[in-house]
Amino acid sequence: MTFSAFDRRAFLGAMAAGGSLVLAGRPAFAKGSVTAAMYPGSWEEAFRKIVVPALKTSKDVELEMQPLYAVDQIAKASAARGAPPFDTFVLDPGPRVSGLDKGLYEKFDAKKLTNLGKLPEGLVDEWGATVAAQVVGMAYNPKKLPPPKNWTDLLKEPWVSRLGLTGFQTTFGTVSIIEIAKMYGGSETNVEPFFTEIKKVLPKIATIGAPAAMAGLFQQGQCDVIYANTQTVSTLKSRGVDIAFAKPETGAVAFFTTMHIAKGATEVENVYKYIDTVISAGVQTELAKSPYNFVPVNKDVALGSDLPMKNLDEMSKFVRHDWAKINPLRAGWIERFNKEVAK
Amino acid sequence: MGRRMSVADISYVLAIGGLATVALTILVGPVVIVLLTSFGDSQSLKFPPPGLTTKWYEALFDASQSRQIHRAAGNTLWVAGCATAGAILFGTLAALGLARSRSRLARIADTAFMSPLVLPGLAFGLAALMYFTFLGLRPSLELIMLGHAVVIVPFVLRTASASLSQLDPALLESSASLGASWLYTLRRVTLPIIAPGIVAGGFLAFIASMDNVPVSLFLAGPRSDMLPIRLWGMMESTLDVRVAAVSGIMVASVLGLMLIMERLVGLTRRMRD
Amino acid sequence: MTIAIAGGALDAAGTGGRRWLAEWQLALPLGLAFTGFFLAPLLILAVVSAFDDEQITRIGFAQWIKFLGDPFYWKVIFDTLKLGLLTVGATVLVGYPLALVYLGARPALQRILLFIVVLPLLTSVVVRTFAWIVILGREGVINGVVMALGLAPAPLRLLQTEFGLVLALTQIEMPLMLLPLLSVMSRIDPNLMSASAALGALRWRTLFRVILPLSVPGLMGGCLLVFASSTTAFISQSVIGGARLVYLPLLIWQQSLVVYNWPLASVAALTLLISVTACIAAISLIGRKIARHVDG
Repeated sequence: MTFSAFDRRAFLGAMAAGGSLVLAGRPAFAKGSVTAAMYPGSWEEAFRKIVVPALKTSKDVELEMQPLYAVDQIAKASAARGAPPFDTFVLDPGPRVSGLDKGLYEKFDAKKLTNLGKLPEGLVDEWGATVAAQVVGMAYNPKKLPPPKNWTDLLKEPWVSRLGLTGFQTTFGTVSIIEIAKMYGGSETNVEPFFTEIKKVLPKIATIGAPAAMAGLFQQGQCDVIYANTQTVSTLKSRGVDIAFAKPETGAVAFFTTMHIAKGATEVENVYKYIDTVISAGVQTELAKSPYNFVPVNKDVALGSDLPMKNLDEMSKFVRHDWAKINPLRAGWIERFNKEVAK
Repeated sequence: MGRRMSVADISYVLAIGGLATVALTILVGPVVIVLLTSFGDSQSLKFPPPGLTTKWYEALFDASQSRQIHRAAGNTLWVAGCATAGAILFGTLAALGLARSRSRLARIADTAFMSPLVLPGLAFGLAALMYFTFLGLRPSLELIMLGHAVVIVPFVLRTASASLSQLDPALLESSASLGASWLYTLRRVTLPIIAPGIVAGGFLAFIASMDNVPVSLFLAGPRSDMLPIRLWGMMESTLDVRVAAVSGIMVASVLGLMLIMERLVGLTRRMRD
Repeated sequence: MTIAIAGGALDAAGTGGRRWLAEWQLALPLGLAFTGFFLAPLLILAVVSAFDDEQITRIGFAQWIKFLGDPFYWKVIFDTLKLGLLTVGATVLVGYPLALVYLGARPALQRILLFIVVLPLLTSVVVRTFAWIVILGREGVINGVVMALGLAPAPLRLLQTEFGLVLALTQIEMPLMLLPLLSVMSRIDPNLMSASAALGALRWRTLFRVILPLSVPGLMGGCLLVFASSTTAFISQSVIGGARLVYLPLLIWQQSLVVYNWPLASVAALTLLISVTACIAAISLIGRKIARHVDG
């Protein structure tokens, strides 16, 4: 009985799927498809509007996307070891290193990218290619606070009592905390000074929360200064949120978002076509525009006026971090953060 | 009752009425805020809204702007419907089987069947993905259904059991002594009495499936896009007001459903009279 | 005792043990599905938890020892269970009186109340958390009232406190308390209540001697659902509770998705499962004791 019910369900599912295919008029003669993991929200929206049609017209490849955050992609691919549920990853440096450690990627042959020459030096390696940059600094509400000048300002009045703090769960949170630690004598591998300093001001801090909630908390005035990347700031600003980006005197932090081929991926050739399309000048130009506000990596693309640099070469002077060193320490930092911050 | 109210009775009315008012405020308050926000004319979720508009609902119904949301909503309803049907069938049967058994095994089984509710979805989602991969199954809509069904069964089981425990044994006894078969007794005596419990549990199960993030996250394959995951993305990165409008639609549809049922029930009652 | 009589009635009607067996077998489909699709993944968790290292290569109990040897984690376990109990207490405190009002209301009002009871379920968890930021926030609704009335010199900190979290969970979990409770209470014979009133019993007396005992099954069902659901409500806990309040689901999320220490994540998940199930077993035992006491 169970089985007949299940067959019926599967049958109905197949009918529904078939029906929707006919309705959507999906061309049966596309050369192939690629399934990409994609950050939910503005990334997916941007890729659907810009990359999907571009890939279809230029390479005749269908792009399917699975909305997953970077950490979820790594977890999902390792749980389904050998049978990845998608062909490509899109990752920040932290999860990228985790995936590398777990051997989740196929080797990447950069020579297959026709746009290889358009990427600045060092943005492609044997495991994947960079598709976007992220610039992290401080974001504040210009109607309520003067702009913070430096990372240390976050722990001083008037900012500290309006500060929204997040922990080491995210890449941008981790690099920001490292930068704060550096100001007090710490380093990439030593965030001890951050904990010492934060302890002194802990009761004053307005909000210590989940990264996912920060946009809502900021909008409703629960906190008025946070660390964030330029893309978040531009996107929220274009949606009427009172928010502005402040570049720390010691320099903004830059890191790269990379794409990788999942080990065991079935559509490897189409993956190259996909990544090639993403880094092409046409697509990067569109992605850089509002409301998506990507930081482009193609040398032919002009940078947005909102960004704290004029060209990509300038970005090489931004603060960079070595995630191969940071990652092994992160578990300890997270545990420490829980214990220091929890009441 | 014409009886004069005593001081104790007044205290009863004040205490019960007061606490019930608090309950109503807590229940309704956040929903009112969500609904007001969904009509806000700011570009992002904001309360209080600077002005009122219906444009977010128009955007939500517009196929060209919200096709992905429609697809995700379709998947979510389909999964929730199938998973709830399964949960009601299996859960009610189990409740019938366990409710009247005094054996220790039945008590243990009853508590064990609650455990899917207690294991965090994240841990279950990851473990289920490992398990299904081990069995050679790929993430898909059918796997999500299966995963949801397992996680939402406790709602049906719990509410059905609660209703069953107040079933008057004399009713069953008399039905049986009149020679009614077990099935007949079930259909004519037991089910009508526990129906409110099953409906309540089924409703809770359906909503739990519709709102489930972690199990869907790990068991979803390509083309099995689910609504709550999509809403998370919209909320986190852009504070998209359509997120609130989706809740407005939910409230309106359940209200509509209740009114329709009301009419139908009213009609049958009148026809019977 | 209800159960005994029912079992006896069935035994009398059928041929003894065979009847009981037939009844018992109704739980088999769920039992099989449960074994195949829940116990098996659970077993995987148990196996994973018995490895020392993140790469899952060395068998050992290092993660269990680390977890259970650290007083901080004991506090987290305690806080999680406490959160569940506080939420159960709050939902009973305000939910039960609402159920009494429902019981005494005319049918039309009953249907409106029922709609209000299910309202929280109709707002997605995503936007519900936003609503609570609006209500509890520094510039939020409650603080707006408090400041306007001059009740406090500065805005109160409500968001990301245990009080705020319990309040938010009370809204979210109240339908889980009320739906089982109402489905049981609506079957209480109204004659019992009017008889009690006609005999001159005070309303308080009717409540505690008549209504409460008869509604125990629904109350217990609701308590179990609320307890289980609030202790695992990761999104509400992390968004409304914030990082100052650490509960087990947050640890599970951090360990499984941020640092990929799956053995430790499994340990935390199993700890949550075992401790909450133990509390649930205790609650239902108390429930049965009360029911027996009332029947006897």
